[in-house]
Amino acid sequence: MSYAYLFKYIVIGDTGVGKSCLLLQFTDKRFQPVHDLTIGVEFGARMITIDGKQIKLQIWDTAGQEAFRSITRSYYRGAAGALLVYDITRRETFNHLTTWLEDARQHSNSNMVIMLLGNKSDLESRREVKKEEGEAFAREHGLVFMETSARTAANVEEAFIQTAKEIYEKIQEGVFDINNEANGIKIGTVSTPPTSPIGSNVSGQSSNSCC
Amino acid sequence: MFNRLKNRVLTSIVPDIPSITPTPSYSIGRPLPEKFQYQRPPFLQLLTPDELKASADHNVRPIIVPRDVAILPFCAGYAECVNSGKSEWNEDQAAFSMQVLHHPSKDLPDLPYVYFGIFDGHAGTGAALASSLQFHHILHEKLVDIIELLLPTNANESPPMFPLMFHKTVSKDELIIGALESAFYDMDAVLAEDRTKYRNAGGCTSVVTLFILGKMYVANAGDSRAILAQRLSKEMIKMQADKPYSNGVKSDSDDYQIIATPFSFDHTPDTERGRILSLGKVHPDLMGGEYIAMEYAKKPMTKDLGTRILYKQGNMKGWTYKTLTKEDLKMPIVTGEGKRSRLLGTIGVTRGFGDHDLRAIGSGLLIKPFLSCHPEIIYRDLSLIISLPDDNNLDGEYGVLIMGTDGLWDVLENETVARITFETLKKYPNEKHRYTMVAQELVAKSRGRANDSGHWRLSDLKAPATVDDISVIVIPVYQYYKEFCEWEKKYFEAQQRREELRNAAISNNKAMNSAASINGDASKSNPIIDNDEDDDEDDEVEEAKEENSTERDEIDRALEKINLNDGNSEEPSESTA
Repeated sequence: MSYAYLFKYIVIGDTGVGKSCLLLQFTDKRFQPVHDLTIGVEFGARMITIDGKQIKLQIWDTAGQEAFRSITRSYYRGAAGALLVYDITRRETFNHLTTWLEDARQHSNSNMVIMLLGNKSDLESRREVKKEEGEAFAREHGLVFMETSARTAANVEEAFIQTAKEIYEKIQEGVFDINNEANGIKIGTVSTPPTSPIGSNVSGQSSNSCC
Repeated sequence: MFNRLKNRVLTSIVPDIPSITPTPSYSIGRPLPEKFQYQRPPFLQLLTPDELKASADHNVRPIIVPRDVAILPFCAGYAECVNSGKSEWNEDQAAFSMQVLHHPSKDLPDLPYVYFGIFDGHAGTGAALASSLQFHHILHEKLVDIIELLLPTNANESPPMFPLMFHKTVSKDELIIGALESAFYDMDAVLAEDRTKYRNAGGCTSVVTLFILGKMYVANAGDSRAILAQRLSKEMIKMQADKPYSNGVKSDSDDYQIIATPFSFDHTPDTERGRILSLGKVHPDLMGGEYIAMEYAKKPMTKDLGTRILYKQGNMKGWTYKTLTKEDLKMPIVTGEGKRSRLLGTIGVTRGFGDHDLRAIGSGLLIKPFLSCHPEIIYRDLSLIISLPDDNNLDGEYGVLIMGTDGLWDVLENETVARITFETLKKYPNEKHRYTMVAQELVAKSRGRANDSGHWRLSDLKAPATVDDISVIVIPVYQYYKEFCEWEKKYFEAQQRREELRNAAISNNKAMNSAASINGDASKSNPIIDNDEDDDEDDEVEEAKEENSTERDEIDRALEKINLNDGNSEEPSESTA
């Protein structure tokens, strides 16, 4: 599949807040109630459309445990967007946001778009963090905020797509240097109109079995 | 125009499609396909091209570990990371296999074995990929060939027949070493044959470990490496003062010391200078008149012609004088020192698989004749280990075997690797992913991190980290030995049962011989005999009697038909009939 841009995302936040589940819901449209502890890093990808353009999201799902923090730090490099996730039913995951944000700001490129997600919004009865608190934190730190549920899929699409929109806008404004891959953005290989008959032949990537 | 086309095609292949087969080519001649589509080791479960692509991010160099840590035998650890951009893909590969060898007479438990391998590719991804996917099949065939000679025997049973078949006494160790050696030769031969059918595969190093019969065999060709990291009590070290442990002893507490023992030796032009200089001396034709198979104490210069110079040739350990001639001004067959040494000015590793078409830079001479696929093998009999692991020391004297490509060893000393291993294990005392954590930590330490200008540095941000691919396997040796001991117990029990059965059958047979009637059911006297086989059994016994051949032989034949259910070893199999 051809795309106009590829955006690299990183998903961060405390262990058990639902990072892997959010990714799975977004890429596979399914929910896995019991998920193994992520050690290391996992990858997901999906194509979305913004402004009529095909955009591929490459998503890095990281390990949330404290012990993995130093390795996770090296993954901010080259990310255009970050989803910072906490669990609305566990206050301490909200309290740790400042540390996560410091890490993210310190190790990423300064234009990285950060989306704050309060996950597990389906567990209203066990809520420990009010929605207003999330909104306030986001406002204070200049983040976009949403509450999501990986279980019911509420706002999951929106979270990933909204982040992409912000990145896309920054590209339009010329904020990102899209020629530097370290910014987490890559221009697609195809989708430029053919300039010659031969050019159009090779541009159909996977159909090059003609010879 | 064609070049432009080719570039378009290449750039479209490289970023997103891991490999396409066959590649359309616009040059003369039919292009050869890849033998295997590029992939990472299957146990990493990087299944989609997107995941593959993300794992090869040269800017970030993510550390990849198995999603399911229990997928490797003994929860062994594995981690890898891609190079910083010297090649599009990670050219290292890794493999493991858990197999059993079937007992020829089928009435004893199968012999299990476990294999791990690491292959560091160069000049292409093909050789390492093919080795990781094929070597264990070749090895398995070699082991199947010798299964009858490998199985343990008890005192009552006659030893395997090889002393009769061979003129020399052949030990099991030699048989297993021979299996490994010949598997190395065959793997190299497979790559040679593939040259006419598939695209040039390049070459690779190979270090493999085979756990079989309570022993650990490490076979190495090339500059990947295996070490055994041990955390030993000081008391133990004193007791074993005569053992040739390496001297890099680090204290991790008052009672324990950490020791790194090499289980392989790197094969580089420098370490193999003797072999290469000898070969060049005996076969000067291989050097095409372009090189000189000598080593000089100082670089020969035109102005020194006719003067005396200290030199070595062949396997010489010391130096001697010769008069400098024009011949000596040619390029030495081995240049440089240590890791920077080069063979024919081109390659820095002198053993492994493949490279059949590799030619020297400049002269265009074939390099393969100087390379070897012969492995050096080091093994350890785990039954000789006397100290048992305890809560304080879960791996005990058995230690942890670390296999890694040179990406690891280029920047971390053996002793540092051993120290990191036990520091990490201490942090994860009970987790089943503790060995994965060790592998991940070792890769993280040798990869380091990128500084602001994108250069990879070790944690102090000063010393350069490796820019190479890194792969590490971390094997808890005791976990294998524990499983082996359980198997051995089961095996001897089954053997004992077989013996009892045989004795019972003999006495039964004698009874039948003496009795006038032979209608007695042999199986009734022995509850272990499978009822389904009763009729055959009777027939065989009858035949044995009628033919009056040697009692023992016939009974052996009869017994071969009896299937003991070893999974159900505690109970007589009659109960299942």
